[in-house]
Amino acid sequence: MKQLSSFTLEEKLQILSDAAKYDVACTSSGVDRRGKSGSLGNSCAAGICHSFAADGRCISLLKVLLSNECAYDCKYCLNRRSNDKPRTAFTPEELCSLTIEFYKRNYIEGLFLSSGVIKNPTYTMELMYQTLFLLRNKYKFRGYIHAKAVPGASPDIIELTGYLADRMSVNIELPTREGLHSLAPGKSHSAILKPMTQIQHKIADYRLSIGKSAFMERHFGNQYLAGNIFSQHNLHDLNEKNPPYLSSPETEKEFLHGISPAKAYFAETTPVSSSTPSAPLRSNGAPRPFVPAGQSTQMIIGATAENDFELLKVTQAMYQNFDLKRVFFSAYIPLNEDSALPAPDTPPPLLREHRLYQADWLLRYYGFHAEELLSPDRPNFNLLLDPKCDWALRHLELFPIEINRACYQDLLKVPGIGNKSAYRIIQARKSQKLDFPDLKRIGVVLKRAQYFITCSGKMLYRTPIEEDFITRQLTGEDRKTAWELEHPQTYRQLSLFDDHFLTASPTIEDTRKSLSGQL
Amino acid sequence: MVVFTCKDDFESMMTCIYDAWSARLGHSNIRLQTEPIEMPELFCQYCYVEADSEKTQKVIRSIQKKISMEAYKFIYTAAMSCDTDKLDKIYRFVVTGFSAGSRVTSMHGIPAVSSVFELNRRITNEAHHFKEFIRFSRLETQVLYSVIEPQNNVLTLIAPYFSDRMPSENWMVLDRNRNLAAVHPADQNYFLTSLSQKELSFIEGTKDCQDPYVSLWKTFFFFFSVEARTNYRCQRNFLPLKFRKNMTEFQP
Ligand code: SF4
Repeated sequence: MKQLSSFTLEEKLQILSDAAKYDVACTSSGVDRRGKSGSLGNSCAAGICHSFAADGRCISLLKVLLSNECAYDCKYCLNRRSNDKPRTAFTPEELCSLTIEFYKRNYIEGLFLSSGVIKNPTYTMELMYQTLFLLRNKYKFRGYIHAKAVPGASPDIIELTGYLADRMSVNIELPTREGLHSLAPGKSHSAILKPMTQIQHKIADYRLSIGKSAFMERHFGNQYLAGNIFSQHNLHDLNEKNPPYLSSPETEKEFLHGISPAKAYFAETTPVSSSTPSAPLRSNGAPRPFVPAGQSTQMIIGATAENDFELLKVTQAMYQNFDLKRVFFSAYIPLNEDSALPAPDTPPPLLREHRLYQADWLLRYYGFHAEELLSPDRPNFNLLLDPKCDWALRHLELFPIEINRACYQDLLKVPGIGNKSAYRIIQARKSQKLDFPDLKRIGVVLKRAQYFITCSGKMLYRTPIEEDFITRQLTGEDRKTAWELEHPQTYRQLSLFDDHFLTASPTIEDTRKSLSGQL
Repeated sequence: MVVFTCKDDFESMMTCIYDAWSARLGHSNIRLQTEPIEMPELFCQYCYVEADSEKTQKVIRSIQKKISMEAYKFIYTAAMSCDTDKLDKIYRFVVTGFSAGSRVTSMHGIPAVSSVFELNRRITNEAHHFKEFIRFSRLETQVLYSVIEPQNNVLTLIAPYFSDRMPSENWMVLDRNRNLAAVHPADQNYFLTSLSQKELSFIEGTKDCQDPYVSLWKTFFFFFSVEARTNYRCQRNFLPLKFRKNMTEFQP
């Protein structure tokens, strides 16, 4: 093994980008910031992709580890202690010059910094903090920074880092306690949720101090969707006496399979949002932004036995209880051999990952709940049908829906109608009665929608509203998608939107990266 | 039919609109076109208009006052298009705008409006791609230098973005198709200038071939991809081949 110091910068970059690439989040979205004379960089809320790698994923940030040394031994991870690998680390200065020089050449939007655990979590975070501090202060960098919070690091260093980063993330890795215990023996959910809760509270502090709601902005369509997963927030917003997190012990127990999240943290600390916000001020008197682009997290799909229902419920809980901006899924790719892991030749479950991203969309933009899409009896997604079609086929009693009368929420439930077309239908029918050709112009995918709608009482063809019949019609189309996903060498560009039921495109990155769920 | 022609720059186009309007020949009896005129038509009378800054100012002011600032932005963007009929489309839009006022920008049903919107959509898309895919290389003088070959004249649409992004750097973006460059001296406003072939090859000759960050970037780009998910088709869809010619990571 080579000595640490004998690596050139290029070799370090090789090792530390190779080790970081399995983290799927690489977005630069969520914050608008103008440039400033004397500084370098700005930020654009829609995010910017600067290149696309050979796997079709967007490259937006310099995604590297600070070090691939690690004190832990997570079984699925390339950097685990027990792997005999060359180990190296960037110095904070090296990371700064890479970021700055790459940025000037328009290769990247900023830095995504993660790290293996050197010595201990706090020490690791301190090095990350130093890097961010140099970047922001010495190099006057105003571009995007995403920093990992290392579970177990001292709250002080996490807080300091949060004032320099645009986004922070703590990876849940595996959604169940058993899964985490068997594959990541050094980690625990409570250790993971603690920094997440801390960051959530500091974000809320900051947002309240600048007169915004405590919760992250969501897609505007949600305000028309009664009972959407974010709507509890609004309720609590109006009624500040209730803590904005979990209320009943039952939901809490169900939630996250026995890990008690926000509440456990509340017991130890004082709830923040009820007191006057105490966010520190800048020299000009304005509050300092804290993680303005919000938090994200990531779960590994297919390394352990969880079903889709469990995964989706945890996802929903992450949005509701931790106000995460995004949850990412990462199809498990075998990197190590271990009896506790799937066999090394297991193909990555790309189609399953795709279905989960589609379902995540349904939660965030379509007003669905995890419990509507799946249940303990039907805990996995149908690989042949997208989750929305699948849902509609199980609820044929609600169809057909009359296009000229239905509300936004009901229109959105129709396969083949997305946010944009639902919105356009509502606009257009104010001035005229809509018929099928109009729908086509509006962008409704009639191939799918025809089985579920009427225009002025008439269906497009006289098709039976009968589950087996419609299933046969719809799976033919989706089977091709499925096959192509399972054979990634051949598949065409496939986006959530090609699946004809999801058209929300809140950010450019979201649209452009959601090919087969490879966000 | 009288055809008013002018050079393909914003000032000339605005002057051309002014002259065409003041000629009072009736909107349906005239056409406006930027040069070069590929195939002159036998029964048309061609009338060349030279740029005039006073007339230009008048047209700009009337558009902003009688229609709206938004409409002006649309017109400006459309004028950067590579579409050979753009000037006539803009003229029809202006005519409609003068009678409809600021409502015009939401009247999508009218061809005079929708065709200018379509021009805008295409140009804005292309400009966005260049915000993403432009690559700067370093010259020996440390100036950041970029070459693009856009279909539309996007320089003035992307230069403000890079001015905000790198206000205190010296940089320039060259449009090779038009031999036009946006030059940004540190802490100053950018300006447009055309470059002669000689100047161009001089600049090209001072590229810093030793720039270490070029190979560092290629390394990063290569190692970013997850092999088990390799998908060239998807890559090609998001990053069409035509952009790659001037992108660092795709150079041998
Ligand atoms: S903590 Fe676990 S997942 Fe993270 S780098 Fe170390 S071994 Fe890998």
